[in-house]
Amino acid sequence: MSLSYELDQRGPTAILRLRGQIDRDAVGVLDDAYAAAARTAATVVELDFNAVEYINSTGIALIVGLLGKARSHGRAVRARGLTDHYQHIFEITRLSDFIEIVQPV
Amino acid sequence: MTTDGQAAKGPRDAANWAANRERLEVNSDAREYGYNVDGMRVAGPQQGFGRLWQRTFWVDLGPAVTPQALIADWRAHFGDFWPRMGRFHGAVSGIAPGDVAALEVGLPTGTGPALATGVLVLYADDTSFSFMTPEGHMFAAMITFSGESVTTGTRAQIRMLIRTSDPLFELGWPFIKRGEADFWKGTLANLAASHGVAGATVEEETECLDPARLWKNWRNIRHNSGIRSAWHIVTSR
Repeated sequence: MSLSYELDQRGPTAILRLRGQIDRDAVGVLDDAYAAAARTAATVVELDFNAVEYINSTGIALIVGLLGKARSHGRAVRARGLTDHYQHIFEITRLSDFIEIVQPV
Repeated sequence: MTTDGQAAKGPRDAANWAANRERLEVNSDAREYGYNVDGMRVAGPQQGFGRLWQRTFWVDLGPAVTPQALIADWRAHFGDFWPRMGRFHGAVSGIAPGDVAALEVGLPTGTGPALATGVLVLYADDTSFSFMTPEGHMFAAMITFSGESVTTGTRAQIRMLIRTSDPLFELGWPFIKRGEADFWKGTLANLAASHGVAGATVEEETECLDPARLWKNWRNIRHNSGIRSAWHIVTSR
């Protein structure tokens, strides 16, 4: 399933609800998603992974690239709804040093 | 907390990923070269110092090889495709998730002193594999090697997100950038030749994703593998 997204804004946070797989085919969608979030006045970009089925290493690299862009624009990045497995991947890659991981309420 | 559905679908690729580890230790058959890797942590682009670059190198191989066959060969003989300036000391069995390989990079002639560092095999499947670099490597990086299906057949691609690790390596970036391009272009040319494509044209694209340097990471210089390699060479004589 290819990646799609919905953008929601709550106060200073732009929430990107991601759906599908984050792999090499996701590059354009993830770029578009970040660009849409960047057009808001948000200071925080929250990536909602609740409906993400799969992330491979290319997908992790895309998230690293998104983090780099957000950092250069002065925005923090937050991750919500990661499974234990993908939290583990964020820890291996040390993405968790820079992306706050929050759980579903 | 995860839902049952997430728990069931997430780990389907668990075997493709390295296990989490706080500190790295090179494979037992490469210990001699692992002195700048043992005890280090991985360092992704967010742990580096210099500007963030995305570099992509690729070569089209035509229809003679599938992406799966290409990656199987690349994983089995990874270091054999390197130009003479580099030596890869990986596991004899080939590239596998969790392996920590040592490597040396020296002069284009393949002679003289070499900088010693390494990589962690972060991920591997049948069409791609990825490395992360340890602290002290000239780059804080994530590098993905893949076989892609394109209209003309199969494309071998190397894509990396990199920052130089510390201010000293950042000073050398203009030279390092060219040397790195020569290295990976040479690797892809060798890979193409081994699959019957002689004189292949290797393409390159370089994009700056974050022009700012991460000054808070300047202390990475204490791990600098160039300095540590020089010290190792001097003190081991």
